[in-house]
Amino acid sequence: MTGRRGEKQKGRGGEGETEGAHAQRMEVQLGPLRLKNPILTASGTFGYGLEFTDFVDLSRLGGICTKGLSLLPHAGNVPPRICETPAGMLNAIGLQNIGVEAFLREKLPALRGLGATVIANVWGDLEEDYVAVVRALEEAEGLAAIELNISCPNVEKGGMLFGNSPRATASLVARVRAATERPLIVKLSPNAPDVVLSARAAREAGADVLSLVNTFVGMAIDPETALPRLSFGTGGLSGPAIKPLAVRMVFQVARALPGVPIMGIGGISDLPDVLEFLVAGATAVQVGTANFKEPGVSGRLVSELDAYCKERGVAAVDLVGRAHRGGALPLDAGAEG
Amino acid sequence: MRSDHRVPLVRRRIFSPALFSVTFEAPSLAGAFAPGQFVMLELPGRVRPYLRRAYSIADADPARGEVELLLRRVGPGTAGLEELPEGSVAKLLGPLGNGFSFESLAEGQRVAVVAGGIGAAPFPALLKALSRARIAADFFLGGRNAEDLSLAARFAGIVPGQTILATDDGSVGEKGFITEAFRRLAAPARYARLFACGPMPMFAALARVAAQLNLPSQFSTEAAMGCGFGACLGCVIPGVEKPFLISCTEGPILPPEKIAWDRL
Repeated sequence: MTGRRGEKQKGRGGEGETEGAHAQRMEVQLGPLRLKNPILTASGTFGYGLEFTDFVDLSRLGGICTKGLSLLPHAGNVPPRICETPAGMLNAIGLQNIGVEAFLREKLPALRGLGATVIANVWGDLEEDYVAVVRALEEAEGLAAIELNISCPNVEKGGMLFGNSPRATASLVARVRAATERPLIVKLSPNAPDVVLSARAAREAGADVLSLVNTFVGMAIDPETALPRLSFGTGGLSGPAIKPLAVRMVFQVARALPGVPIMGIGGISDLPDVLEFLVAGATAVQVGTANFKEPGVSGRLVSELDAYCKERGVAAVDLVGRAHRGGALPLDAGAEG
Repeated sequence: MRSDHRVPLVRRRIFSPALFSVTFEAPSLAGAFAPGQFVMLELPGRVRPYLRRAYSIADADPARGEVELLLRRVGPGTAGLEELPEGSVAKLLGPLGNGFSFESLAEGQRVAVVAGGIGAAPFPALLKALSRARIAADFFLGGRNAEDLSLAARFAGIVPGQTILATDDGSVGEKGFITEAFRRLAAPARYARLFACGPMPMFAALARVAAQLNLPSQFSTEAAMGCGFGACLGCVIPGVEKPFLISCTEGPILPPEKIAWDRL
């Protein structure tokens, strides 16, 4: 997975602080997708990006993943939709979104104007729905990639069904692959029985990049009323609480599928979290729930990662997968080992 | 512009064992908000709560650069503020939300301001702004008991009109719901507008009275917020014209006729 830095290898780190030096320190290549740096924002935690313009210069980010887009506008679940948990939160928003047409008309031109690298996150109930959204996006100017949400735990159908079966994952990814020329990212579910099987299925069906992980299905119950705290019953757990679980999955997939570009997601709030995901094998990361708490966090992490790399005289890509080069780790024994 | 202000605690004022206010030195926020707007507060370095908490801006003193929040201790967020030493820094993200609208209100008119318990939080700034605009306001404050009504002390001298108090147990003011006291006084055309903040049952009762009187109203709604600026979509309220209103960005001040009360 490393060594994909492309042509601009020389002159990195050190002497003059030119644009070029910064770019060479921070640029990453994920298959066909070149990003100015490895810090992105995760779908569902960054709105359509425009909500954050008071807090972040969107053009500084490696990319932003939009709220999951469906063919038609979607109202989402009835409240309560969120609930705080130790070091994180549960959500069952239910994929509320304005629909792909409104996104193209009202959001994308503004994002393009702000210089954002936009990744459209896409979901549907049926394979046809995904394909239709991807087709609607195909002619759009200024979209860097498509990210397929095959792993939302908060809708009755769709999403999770695709993510929880490698066969369904493969079938969906193959159909979407045939429908788009754009770089294709598939966002994996941590709720699938085996994340490596899901990863392999998505990759073999044509995914350029894998992003992992989406939220973990969880639940909170009010002991007084004996009712779930979310109207949907269960919800997706996110935040620092899930970080070790996500790091483990990124490590596992990176080891099982060497060379497959990975975006790591799960509880990233500070620079050490970013570094941890990179060394575990992610070439880029997506900052999620932390955006709610600190809307400027993504911009801060770009600065902090850059400063870290500059001080160490390394490029961000040099960090990627270091944990796999450091000797044998008894990973395959798993949690029970 | 909205930004994240790192501000030290200047003082705390205690009204009752559970009700208090905190005042921060926040000059850039003090002169730049509308009554009814809110902040998302974080106490840096604390593990709990994880998410920020939304608080209405109760009042501000632009000359001294101070911003005050009025609150009730209910959980780890408010408890943290109760223990915060003076001089300690909090992060206030804001100002957020839409704020109360004075549009079409004119000098010499009279409005009603109705608060249930800690729902009084956004009203010191509103009442002062109404005074400055020479608009009269009757202030209705209701609660369960005398403790809830300890907040009345915060409103002494700032109400440009009558103050009407009511408690469920009759220990202070009239016995009964404040909505009943409001209903009695609110003759047709007496008030040009109703501003209200309180628990949902109070809102539902007020919405009925306001509809009968054809009284334009602005309710300061509350829903658990994840972010406060429209990104998480956690704080939605069922709407009439569309499935959901986003409380933090389309509100928190909403006209009751836009809320689908039967779906709450």
